[in-house]
Amino acid sequence: MNILVCIKQVPDMEGHFVPNAAGSWFDEAGLAWRMNEYDAFAVEEAVRLKERLGGAARVTALSIGPARVVESIRKALAMGCDEGVHIDDDEAPERDPWQIASMIAGFAAGRGFELVFAGMQSEDRGSAQVGVLVAERLGLVCATGITAFEWRDEAMIVERELEGGRRCRLRLKAPALLTCQQGLNTPRYPTLPNIMKSKRAALAVLSPESVGLESPKVSSGNFRPHEPNAAGVILEGNVETLAAQVLEILKNRTAVLGKGGAR
Amino acid sequence: MYLLALAAVAVMVRGFGERRSLWLKGRPLDRFDRPSQRLMRFAADTFSQRKVLKERQGGLPHAILFWGFLLLFIGTVLVMLQADLLTPLFNFSLLSGDFYRLYALALDLAGLAAMLGLAALAVRRFIIRPPGLETATADTLIHLLLFAILFTGFLIEGCRMAVTELRDNPALAAWSPVGALFARLFTCMDDATARGVHKGLWLLHLLMSLIFLAVIPRTKLRHLATTSGNSLFEPREPKGTLMPVDLEDESIERFGASAVGDFTWKDLFDTDACVHCGRCQQRCPAYLTGKPLSPMKLIADIGELAATEHCNGLIEKVSRDAIWSCTTCRACEEICPASIEHIGKMIEMRRSLALMQGEFPGDETRRACEAIEVNGNPFGLSGVSRGDWAKGLPVSIIKGKCEADILYFTGCYASYDPRNRKVAESFVRICEAAGVSVGILGGAERCCGEPVRKLGNEYLYRMVAESNIDAIRASGARRIVTACPHCFNTLARDYRELGLDLPVEHHSTFIAALIEKGRLKLKPERFSATLHDSCSLARYRDLTDEPRAVLRAAGGALTEMEASGKNGFCCGAGGGRILAEERLGTPIADERLRQARKSGAATLVSACPFCLSMFEDGLKRSNLRNSIEVCDLAEIVASRIDPKK
Repeated sequence: MNILVCIKQVPDMEGHFVPNAAGSWFDEAGLAWRMNEYDAFAVEEAVRLKERLGGAARVTALSIGPARVVESIRKALAMGCDEGVHIDDDEAPERDPWQIASMIAGFAAGRGFELVFAGMQSEDRGSAQVGVLVAERLGLVCATGITAFEWRDEAMIVERELEGGRRCRLRLKAPALLTCQQGLNTPRYPTLPNIMKSKRAALAVLSPESVGLESPKVSSGNFRPHEPNAAGVILEGNVETLAAQVLEILKNRTAVLGKGGAR
Repeated sequence: MYLLALAAVAVMVRGFGERRSLWLKGRPLDRFDRPSQRLMRFAADTFSQRKVLKERQGGLPHAILFWGFLLLFIGTVLVMLQADLLTPLFNFSLLSGDFYRLYALALDLAGLAAMLGLAALAVRRFIIRPPGLETATADTLIHLLLFAILFTGFLIEGCRMAVTELRDNPALAAWSPVGALFARLFTCMDDATARGVHKGLWLLHLLMSLIFLAVIPRTKLRHLATTSGNSLFEPREPKGTLMPVDLEDESIERFGASAVGDFTWKDLFDTDACVHCGRCQQRCPAYLTGKPLSPMKLIADIGELAATEHCNGLIEKVSRDAIWSCTTCRACEEICPASIEHIGKMIEMRRSLALMQGEFPGDETRRACEAIEVNGNPFGLSGVSRGDWAKGLPVSIIKGKCEADILYFTGCYASYDPRNRKVAESFVRICEAAGVSVGILGGAERCCGEPVRKLGNEYLYRMVAESNIDAIRASGARRIVTACPHCFNTLARDYRELGLDLPVEHHSTFIAALIEKGRLKLKPERFSATLHDSCSLARYRDLTDEPRAVLRAAGGALTEMEASGKNGFCCGAGGGRILAEERLGTPIADERLRQARKSGAATLVSACPFCLSMFEDGLKRSNLRNSIEVCDLAEIVASRIDPKK
């Protein structure tokens, strides 16, 4: 079986985000980069399926972005993917989901992937569109946000989490595209021999144009960093002193105790 | 007779040959360098019995038995020389005159001492039965055999004296007081009977002695050679040095130990050096808090597996829970009278789990590894903001040209953890008062890698270590101080292996020197405290006096806990356990807090961010927050800086 995993490299969310010079997206300086968490679930599930199927399955990991994304592709290889494909695109961080999907679909078309795993969304842009757009463009059936996956003779049973913790079970036939949600699995920590092997692996490098980059449907207006709220206060002590402290704060910093209730 | 003895020696040699083939299942390791130094150490350790004497109850009777037997052995050899070499060939009598009198007395007393030592050991083993001392049938048989050899020895002497000295030369008999007592048993016999009995007893004594020789390699008695012999093979590197892992050689596809053959021959020799005395177990913080780890059992398990044909399934035999429970506190190695290296074995098995399986003690530990990989700290907080704690303090972030007197390698806890940031602030205030300018690497610093290295993740350790070494070199720093013993050992010892060659100091010795040189003036205020020795300082570095001297200079009236100094009790955070939940048994930190409260001191002082965090967490858990205060050495000192100076 031929499996494709789509991964994105995202900044660690603990980083400091400031707008770039154009104000259209964030500045990358000082940010630490890693594999999008949802994509790590996708890689893990693809590799588990491959291990279950034995030698016949192959997993290709694809990522679009500047040179830095090679690190995430190698991480996917270290986790057990067989081939790495890098669509070398410095503009990728600011491209809209349609453009990203056009490139993935352009690459996948004609390569006979029976299953495509993707993250449910990216942690930075969070549009949750790329997976479904790729499915649509490739004519694949699609299930989003899966939390369980089981392969049974050319078909699969997946679980999705619904509002309020409810779950439902779906049955799909390959070829299909699945986007992966937290709870699906715990991604493995790569072993050292696999890390070494992934460092030596040759990646296929493609240009955006060669895989059918299309023009954007949505353009980015501006980017604003998170505006911090006033800092929270944690009170410590026993109940009596805590109550007194709360009263003090309510008196001094709020108006709730002013003028009684007769307003 | 010599034929019999030769046969017994042959059986013994053959037995050791069999053991040797077991040791050689391990990989090669050079522990033969500087043979003369090694021999000196071996002789000193063995004849002084200093290691076994570290604990008196079992140690003293053992030493007495040893010294007694040693003299008896020398005496027997002299008799052999006299009877079969000197007299027949040279007609020379060595054992005569004053020398003989001394010889007789020495051997007589040696025999008595050996009997008393053996009796004390028997009382300990069969009556007192201290916890952890397990008795097998073989142990009982060995006791009986040794007793029988000594007892028949005295009977032979008595029998001989009854028909010779006691009658002919009572003055000489007085030089063998114990023998003379035994001789009374035989005075009623006539000469011929006594001679017959003497011959019979002598043959019995000989036979038992030869049996003793033959069973040495096949029973715990092999420790005569292996335990003392292990002194020869002790590591000569600084304590805590781990086996190097070659990450450059791409042909290596196997890391750590998952089978007996992955260990070195010394690791397997260790299993034969162990006499199951249980000292390690009785000091192991994991064992004592109900975790499925006993250092003694670890060694026994490896030994048992090495004796099987296939030698596989090492991890399952030892068990993952045991492997991950170790805090690498080194209490076991410190007390072990047999020079056994427990921790290296643990680390090798952890390397196998971490590097070959991607396994850690829990999911939280895996996430911490990933966080260190991405952010340079186990909390997953922004690496760029690592130096934010120093904002507003007289601290420069060193880039390129280093103007500061010292580079303060802050470490993850002092950089991010609010409680430990106070320690960092205190340290900076101390330096300010002493006129020492402080620089930090800020965002260029990453976790030193110690916890993940101890968890077996050598690859991640190497990644952060190389990044830190580059940053330190780029900073131009000439001297490094750290307030974390884990960072300290890693930078001072382990980074040296990777080429960092700068003086590195821990803040306890650094502050002690500032006080001693008069650069830091304190206004002592009396307080009662007990010092918790960090394992990394006390046992890995033999640093126990300096932190105490600092506390006294600050006005501290110190009381010691039941376990202190090099015999201290771990806080539970070593060996990378700081990154893992403690799911088995009871928390180690709670046991240490119990000891601290029992000491009666008002303040528990540590000089390590891991210890401090463990104790703060323990106090929160126990709802006994007001029972004892915990703080770092630097906080005590900073609050007593003399403002006038």
